[in-house]
Amino acid sequence: MLHIKSLSINLGEFSVRDVSLEIRSGEYFIILGPTGAGKTVLLETIAGIHTPELGKIILGDKEITATEPRLRNIGMVYQDYMLFPHLTVGDNIAFGLRQRKMSPSEQHALIEEMSSLLEISHLAKRYPGTLSGGEQQRVALARALVLKPEILLLDEPLSALDGRTRERLRMELSRIRKLTGTTIIQITHYFDDVFALADRIAIMREGRIVQVGETSEVFLHPSDTFVAEFLGIGNIIRGTSAKTGNITQISTHDGTMFFAASGITGDVVATLHAEDVILSKAPFASSARNCLSGTVTEIVPSGSTVQVFLDVGFPLIALLTRESCRELYLEPGSRVYATFKASAVHVIPAALQERGET
Amino acid sequence: MRRFSLALTGIIFLVISVVLLGLILYSPLPVLAQSLTNPEIQFAIMLSLITGVISTILCIVLAIPVAYALARYEFFGKRVVTLALTLPLTLPPLVAGIALLLFFGTTPWGKALENAGFGVIFTPLGIIVAEVFVNIPYMIRILRSAFSTINPRYEYVAKTLGCTDTGAFFQVTLPMARHGLLAGAIITWSKAMGEFGAVLMVAGATTMRTETLPIALYLNISAGNLDLAVAAATILILISLITLCAVEYFDRNVHVF
Repeated sequence: MLHIKSLSINLGEFSVRDVSLEIRSGEYFIILGPTGAGKTVLLETIAGIHTPELGKIILGDKEITATEPRLRNIGMVYQDYMLFPHLTVGDNIAFGLRQRKMSPSEQHALIEEMSSLLEISHLAKRYPGTLSGGEQQRVALARALVLKPEILLLDEPLSALDGRTRERLRMELSRIRKLTGTTIIQITHYFDDVFALADRIAIMREGRIVQVGETSEVFLHPSDTFVAEFLGIGNIIRGTSAKTGNITQISTHDGTMFFAASGITGDVVATLHAEDVILSKAPFASSARNCLSGTVTEIVPSGSTVQVFLDVGFPLIALLTRESCRELYLEPGSRVYATFKASAVHVIPAALQERGET
Repeated sequence: MRRFSLALTGIIFLVISVVLLGLILYSPLPVLAQSLTNPEIQFAIMLSLITGVISTILCIVLAIPVAYALARYEFFGKRVVTLALTLPLTLPPLVAGIALLLFFGTTPWGKALENAGFGVIFTPLGIIVAEVFVNIPYMIRILRSAFSTINPRYEYVAKTLGCTDTGAFFQVTLPMARHGLLAGAIITWSKAMGEFGAVLMVAGATTMRTETLPIALYLNISAGNLDLAVAAATILILISLITLCAVEYFDRNVHVF
């Protein structure tokens, strides 16, 4: 377990202020936040690059606040890979093992194992400059993972990649985590990463952690308007997706079904913006594929809008103007119909959710 | 404009070529060859090479940590320090030379060094001191520029992979700056080979003792031995040419000036 206690550090442009976190071993922890929130500084401080002015970092039962980075056994991977350009891929991966004065045969075995896990064995003789972004990031991951770090820190590892590669590498991260059981702390600005990978998330703003919790908990109950606006999504629905004709049908665990315009099947996480949900007292004919009946459970005004919490078999949030809410005479217990387009539903594979069952 | 600018380019190219070729071709080839075997010229070549190599190595060793500090760290008075370190770039070497002469010749520190056996004034050691003093700013500038283009995160990663601070520097940053280092070394060496003003002031112009190539050129011109002067000049032109080609080659990766 990684225990961060009241950590503060000021690097002028970026700072971390009084951050406390507990990250369990084996956990996939994601940190979200706007640019300049101090996310990278926090990660680098965990790695030992910067010395905190205040606070403590405890890994397992050892305090490592003042320990040199090389003795922490914490790996770090950056968005821009930071592969050493003067070394071949093989030498890049071997870099850490050589520092540990490991015998060449041992080195070789470990490098082989990690290279085949990441499918980069064929690149060993090449130089980083000749690789694609996806390949470079695999090499960077291999270089960090070959040392079997207790914690792997990922600073926006997928941000420099194109959409398809990002998707593939995201699945890879989930696979690696499953295979190695490494604790992973990742910074991202892709919600897809969060839904596909995270056990828990933290939202950072101006150097402080404003909310920590289970992913769905944070999305469903943002602690303040900043978090709500920053996340801006509303609905996260887990279920199983199957193809029916040109679109897919998602069944939630309680048996409710709805449509999504997506080709992804299997265990999925579906997201739906609260403002994309239309409420009505009676079902109406429209081009929207989904019309679910349910009850209002709670109404929360926020500014000029109102968040209406529904139970349609699963919890659903709709964002309405105060006017609409008044005209529909909504109150807790009201029967309503929730209409939304299949194309408004964003579907991503629930890579990590399988883990709980294996 | 096109015709005028191209024509002028051609004319200036011709003038430079004619003037320099005129110097190289001044002595008939056999005479040039004979001049090159002259003991005085050979001494000058050797002395220039030795002092040039030693002063370049000293410049590299001293400039690496300084350039790194300037590229990576913020400290109080950094602007003033940077300015002072850069001043010898624009200072006439003759002025640098006289300053060194006064420092080593008249101050207690200079006297103490001389008593300890490190006489600088009018000695070959003085040549090295003068060359280092005049050239180290170039080395610092080039290396600083090379270091500051290297993202510090390379070192961060190296440290998480098991390197000490020093290890990360020598295994990652320095190899990544190798083009700058080479370009800097070549320029420093070439400038050392051609240094005249500062060397003249500190080490004097003693035949067969502190006689580097430029000093040999100066002494022989003064004595009317035009052939020997031309031989020394020809070698200096050759060194410049090699330097230019080498720097052109490395400059693709480094900002030299």
